[in-house]
Amino acid sequence: MSTRILEILISSLPKLLLYCVKVTIPLTVCIYAISLVLALILALVQVLNIRGLKQFVRFYVWLFRGTPLIVQMYIIFFGLPSLGITLSAFPSAVIAFSLNYAAYMSETIRASIESVPKGQVEAGYMIGLNYFQIMTRIVLPQAAKVAFPTLFGSLIGLTKDSSLAASITVVEMFKVAQQIASANFEPFALYCEVAFVYLMLNTILSALQSYLEKKMTWKTKN
Amino acid sequence: MLEVKNLHCSYGTNKVLKGIDFRVDQGEVIAVLGSSGSGKTTLLRCISFLESADSGTIRFGDFEKDITKVKRSEIRALRMKIGYVFQNFNLFRNMTVRQNVLEGLVTARKMDKKEANAIADEMLGKVGMLHRADYYPEQLSGGQQQRVAIARSIAFRPDVILFDEPTSALDPELTREVLNTIAKLASEGVTMVVVTHEMSFARNVANRVIFMENGVVVEDAPAKEFFENPKEEATRRFLRTVIEEAAVKPGQTPETESSK
Repeated sequence: MSTRILEILISSLPKLLLYCVKVTIPLTVCIYAISLVLALILALVQVLNIRGLKQFVRFYVWLFRGTPLIVQMYIIFFGLPSLGITLSAFPSAVIAFSLNYAAYMSETIRASIESVPKGQVEAGYMIGLNYFQIMTRIVLPQAAKVAFPTLFGSLIGLTKDSSLAASITVVEMFKVAQQIASANFEPFALYCEVAFVYLMLNTILSALQSYLEKKMTWKTKN
Repeated sequence: MLEVKNLHCSYGTNKVLKGIDFRVDQGEVIAVLGSSGSGKTTLLRCISFLESADSGTIRFGDFEKDITKVKRSEIRALRMKIGYVFQNFNLFRNMTVRQNVLEGLVTARKMDKKEANAIADEMLGKVGMLHRADYYPEQLSGGQQQRVAIARSIAFRPDVILFDEPTSALDPELTREVLNTIAKLASEGVTMVVVTHEMSFARNVANRVIFMENGVVVEDAPAKEFFENPKEEATRRFLRTVIEEAAVKPGQTPETESSK
């Protein structure tokens, strides 16, 4: 490796890390928090079988899973202004990502709730619990354990997918890498470097996942 | 104390219960016998409103009503007085043994934690599971889980406990430990209805036996009379089959169709 490339890599790393901390991570956290809450609501509407709303949720999931995320982002950022709704890049990305991820994650949550055996609910009724108590104390904790790996997988996917926001001019880590690469004509080095940063970020997340999964077990230690 | 009259229940077009009259008095231990598909389990499930009946009346103490017209709040009040032990135990998997027993006391009945803990200790001691109080259900054998499930349902001192084939998911060794636990409760005067395939249990522990076939009660008699002098031809046929099956030596396949 030439010293020039090495110098470029070393000098660009702080800037990439800065935008990782300043934009990529906040963007990811924002989207994940919003979509998790939204997904839980969407899933509960279906499980509780709320009439009217349930059809709406099925339609919503169908629409947002059936169209590409990048197209959804383009519609919100480039399309809505023609209807008089102008949003800046960051909120546009947050909205598009949240709506899209909520659709997927609601399915994860719905399936995990449905995976809890009916006998658990019946046993809850027979010791005198009401439906709300059964949901909050028995069904949802068990569903959370089932959903956890998949929901965490969504978080890992989201940290990487957040780079798509670059396409609607959000200056996040990948966009910065693009800018540096076009300034010094070393795309190979720069894109490999930014890939490495994403990889490290997700390595930390994966380690966190294993740690949390171990903590969630229903076994005593002896 | 508990009585249903002319109870009908069906799954779709399949009529499972065709007019059951059934009554339990204080202190009685009733065994419900019958081959698979005769409606024994459905009877217990209708009484507990886990299945909605098509028609019939239910009486529980002073409360009497058309079983299809019982309100949700009334159902909950009735369930507060009925213990239920499931074939598959259905212990809450996310809770320890102790929490399983406490749940009905603390969450459902708003009992003081300290008082509830004392009851949990007592009940777990009674079923011989106190030494596993901090274990989770999946760390226990089936027999142990069922004993905890029994502790969970006796903890709130229900007026009657319904056992739905409590030993059908267990091997003979574990069956014995669970049946001993149930027999012990029976000797303490706990009112219970036990749906079972265990003839020796029905004979030795129950004071009344009900035999069901095709969704109707065929025979309802004191245990001794039921086994020694059954009135109905269907009962005699059933008892004969059961005795023949029991006589089949290990390794031999019984001629009669085995269940499941």
